[in-house]
Amino acid sequence: MRITILNGDPDPASAFQLYVQQVAGRLADSGHTVTTLNLRDLDLKGCSGCFGCWVKTPGECVKRDDSARVCRAVIDSSLTVLASPIVMGFTTALLKRATDQMIPLVHPYFVVQGGEMHHRPRYAKYPALGLLLGAGSNCDAEDIEIATAIWKRTARNLKFRTVFTAVADRSAKEVADELARVA
Amino acid sequence: MNSLVLLNGSPRGERSNSMKMLARVAEGWERGGGRTPEVLHLAQRSEFDRAVQAFGESDVVLLGMPLYTDAMPGIVKLYIEALAPRVEVAAAGERNPTLGFLVQSGFPEALHSRLLERYLEKLARRLGSPYAGTIVRGWGEALQMMPDEANKKLWARLRTLGEQLARDGRFGEEELDAVAGTERFSALAAALLSVALRLPAVQFMWNRRLKKNGVWERRFAAPYRPALRTGR
Repeated sequence: MRITILNGDPDPASAFQLYVQQVAGRLADSGHTVTTLNLRDLDLKGCSGCFGCWVKTPGECVKRDDSARVCRAVIDSSLTVLASPIVMGFTTALLKRATDQMIPLVHPYFVVQGGEMHHRPRYAKYPALGLLLGAGSNCDAEDIEIATAIWKRTARNLKFRTVFTAVADRSAKEVADELARVA
Repeated sequence: MNSLVLLNGSPRGERSNSMKMLARVAEGWERGGGRTPEVLHLAQRSEFDRAVQAFGESDVVLLGMPLYTDAMPGIVKLYIEALAPRVEVAAAGERNPTLGFLVQSGFPEALHSRLLERYLEKLARRLGSPYAGTIVRGWGEALQMMPDEANKKLWARLRTLGEQLARDGRFGEEELDAVAGTERFSALAAALLSVALRLPAVQFMWNRRLKKNGVWERRFAAPYRPALRTGR
């Protein structure tokens, strides 16, 4: 299975960073093709809400940055894992900046889905989504619940199927094996 | 007179739908007796730094934003992260300002913004700030296309909310409900809409722009579709 991990931890020396590496290593050892993108190392200019990706260069951000690399790695995977520590009650600004630039993956046309307005898919196939959260000292159960609920909604809008959510308080091996099983 | 800092969290900056709405709340705030607010756009680097500083200097902070992939835009999260020291300040007994929010989304139903509203209410608690409420509004993109005249009712309601903020330190529930509009579609409305959205005329907003930019034929492009993998 092709697995893309988008790591939104801005700190290369953190315990969470090490944990993500261990999860990726275990998945690779189990025979999966794993691409880890440490978002802090990429040039991501952020979404300006210009809608150019919908009406000027359909399917691609008009900005010349690494967001194309992120989008390609996501669409090319069977499972995409969003990994981030919780900071001020939510996943990091770095991860949000990257996912804001994922709207070219869907089409601007509106459709009704599950009784709600959403966007039409652009691709025939989207990956399953895993969410891996790092809970810091100022993070409580309500923060995890809100962050998870928001990302499940985002997944729905981006046409991903959320299959896995976890807090990094179990062994990396256990989490990696479960990820591989549910995807 | 109380002081207000108006923070525009839209990456579009000054010409955003969020700013259009915030400006009306500010008019009401002044009408209600508040001091002329300081307006800062988080998308401007210099104003972002000033916004971090201004948080600790004001009686009330109103942070407005568009809904981006079901949450706050990245720039707004960056701002929230910059407020982390204010959590310590509040824990030490110093006061933080009253916090109010405005979230507008391109979707017509308010329900899309409700989880973000929940996060923002928790954020106010985290900062030890009195919570003034969150103004939620759908169809935000329509504001860009319609003349100001067509939005007269909405502007009036936003002014009322601004007045309430100045007078009571929070938004009135009734007015918040009125501004939010449709919470969710009824089953019948969803079914009818589902059929209507198949008509090209209904997607005119996008079609017009795709044609104008000469990319109509490429509207369904899927540039990141994986190339066919061969063999190994």
